[in-house]
Amino acid sequence: MSENVITVENIGKMFRLKKSGYRTLKSAILDSLRFRGSAMHDFWALKDINFSVGKGESLGIIGINGAGKSTLLSLIAGTKQPTEGRIQTKGSMSCLLELGAGFHPDLTGRENVLLAGAIMGIPQVQMRQRIDSIIEFAELQEFIDQPVKHYSSGMYVRLGFAVAVEVNPDILLIDEVLAVGDAAFQRKCIQKMDEFRQNGKTMLIISHDLRTIQAISDRILFLNDGKVFGIGDPQSMVHSYESLSRQLATRGLRREWGTGEVKITGAEFSDKNGKLTDRFRWGDLLDAKISYDAPKMIKNPVFGFAISDSNGRIIYGNNTQIEKYDIPSVQGKGYVCLRIDNIQMSRGNYLFSFSVHSSDHKVNYHRLDNTFPIAVESDKPFEGFCYMPCHWKK
Amino acid sequence: MFKMFKDLSSHKELMLILVQRNIKIRYKNSVLGFLWTLLGPIFLICIYAIFLNLMKFDMNLPSLVTGIIAWQFLAMCMGDSLHAIIGNANLVTKASFPRIILPTSMVLANTVNFLLSMIVLIIYLIIVKVSFGPLILLPVIIITQLALCLGMALIISTLNVFFRDTEHVLSTIMLAWFFLTPVIYETGYVMPRATELIGPAAYFLFFSNPMTGILTAYRAVFMSSGITGLHLVGISFAVSWVLFVIGVIFFQKAQARFGDEL
Repeated sequence: MSENVITVENIGKMFRLKKSGYRTLKSAILDSLRFRGSAMHDFWALKDINFSVGKGESLGIIGINGAGKSTLLSLIAGTKQPTEGRIQTKGSMSCLLELGAGFHPDLTGRENVLLAGAIMGIPQVQMRQRIDSIIEFAELQEFIDQPVKHYSSGMYVRLGFAVAVEVNPDILLIDEVLAVGDAAFQRKCIQKMDEFRQNGKTMLIISHDLRTIQAISDRILFLNDGKVFGIGDPQSMVHSYESLSRQLATRGLRREWGTGEVKITGAEFSDKNGKLTDRFRWGDLLDAKISYDAPKMIKNPVFGFAISDSNGRIIYGNNTQIEKYDIPSVQGKGYVCLRIDNIQMSRGNYLFSFSVHSSDHKVNYHRLDNTFPIAVESDKPFEGFCYMPCHWKK
Repeated sequence: MFKMFKDLSSHKELMLILVQRNIKIRYKNSVLGFLWTLLGPIFLICIYAIFLNLMKFDMNLPSLVTGIIAWQFLAMCMGDSLHAIIGNANLVTKASFPRIILPTSMVLANTVNFLLSMIVLIIYLIIVKVSFGPLILLPVIIITQLALCLGMALIISTLNVFFRDTEHVLSTIMLAWFFLTPVIYETGYVMPRATELIGPAAYFLFFSNPMTGILTAYRAVFMSSGITGLHLVGISFAVSWVLFVIGVIFFQKAQARFGDEL
């Protein structure tokens, strides 16, 4: 990784969106008569993006839908121009954006391959030499002389991928190719990308398939909301991405209500070493620190928690009253700690709810339902979510 | 401007393939295929011959078909240029290459058709024994018309990316342009009345239409005698080349935004 082949400096991409409908001559004239920007609004799909990719490096790009991944790739590919900033690339580039690489439906597979080669600036002579290996890789021997409009979407993708790799570029840009195609072809693609990597080529890959991208990337760029959320070691990036998606998953289920006499101001989880985390393994210890704020003194409050599955169904709940832990009163800011000694749950994402209410259950001071997500990893096989130690005898 | 020539020369193969593709797609699903390029002008000459005979239309046939064939070249380019960019949206959004290749290859594909029509026309003219003028100047005229067509195609293909009204506006403009150009009439036939209406400036106005001078030049080369306004052809040629330069500059400025709009 001596030399950078892709350098992205302060990239920003703004789209000017019309508030409604298409842009026509009439609307353009009307807009120019109005005050500037009244019928348009600016949307920054990407802002302040800085990173570089070294020669021979594979960079995975992850992020939720709409994070700007595809826009970033099309800026690097040169199909869109950045609004601000600068992108430099070195070497030949082959890209597979949104699949199909610009095939014309009326031309045959073979003609499209030659066209694609010409677009990438590869001499036709070379392209004709490579066409056999392209056809072979795409497994399209029978159909190569048919117009591509008769192709199935799988065939289309296979041909697109085959062209993109077989032209042997220095840099390969791939947008979500692994999502389409059957398992066998996906395996073949991954194998090809590995081969590509071993040959010291540079790759940029967008994928939602986190396991695969973690395996084939040297580093991962995590985009969120048009900004770099993080760039670095694949495993830690995938973890922070998963943690973000869990936060987002709570959105629809999250509820908050109560009188507010005591307020739960936050909660954080840590493992047995006291390290903050939201990922736990089977049998781990979980410490939760629940912060509260009580403007006036409240006597005998009861703190409770519940764990729900990702659909919001409660699978376990408990509180200080049940456990006979008496809190005489609370006033001002403070926190209570909850410890679960031994997490015995099946693999998956769970949501914590925390509540504080009066000892007679008549007043709910504050409840935060399904607000704090955690992930549990487990290989223990059993039915349901919650394990209960049990014994068999005959 | 220089960038354009650099882009075009470094992508010769792509250009060639796109020209072939444009021609191929035009004749897909047709039995006679490429033969239509030759049959078209032959039928055109026959039909106008019958029409002129029946209608007692005051114009000689060689002059009329020369006008029609040259006009058709422009009209085809204009019509096709609407889709030169938006019809190739899948290429523009998925691959990076000089966008100017798209309208250029479209105009060149039409040029191939036009040259073949020209051959048919010249054979016809030889058969009817017209007295040719300085045929050596023909390439100059063709290249000038090519520049005009390309300039206009660059403007129209760009406008249609941003405003889809272009298509409707264009059909109206083309109709008006057709009648402002001496295609189905002779310049000498309208000029006396025009001069009477707007004075001596009429000639300059008439020849500031680039197609007027181009048609006049074609007729001068093919049918040497009886051509009105030959000394004003230079105005039309100059306008053609100015439109070409405007087209190139306009296109190069706008092309960065194609990827966003499509």
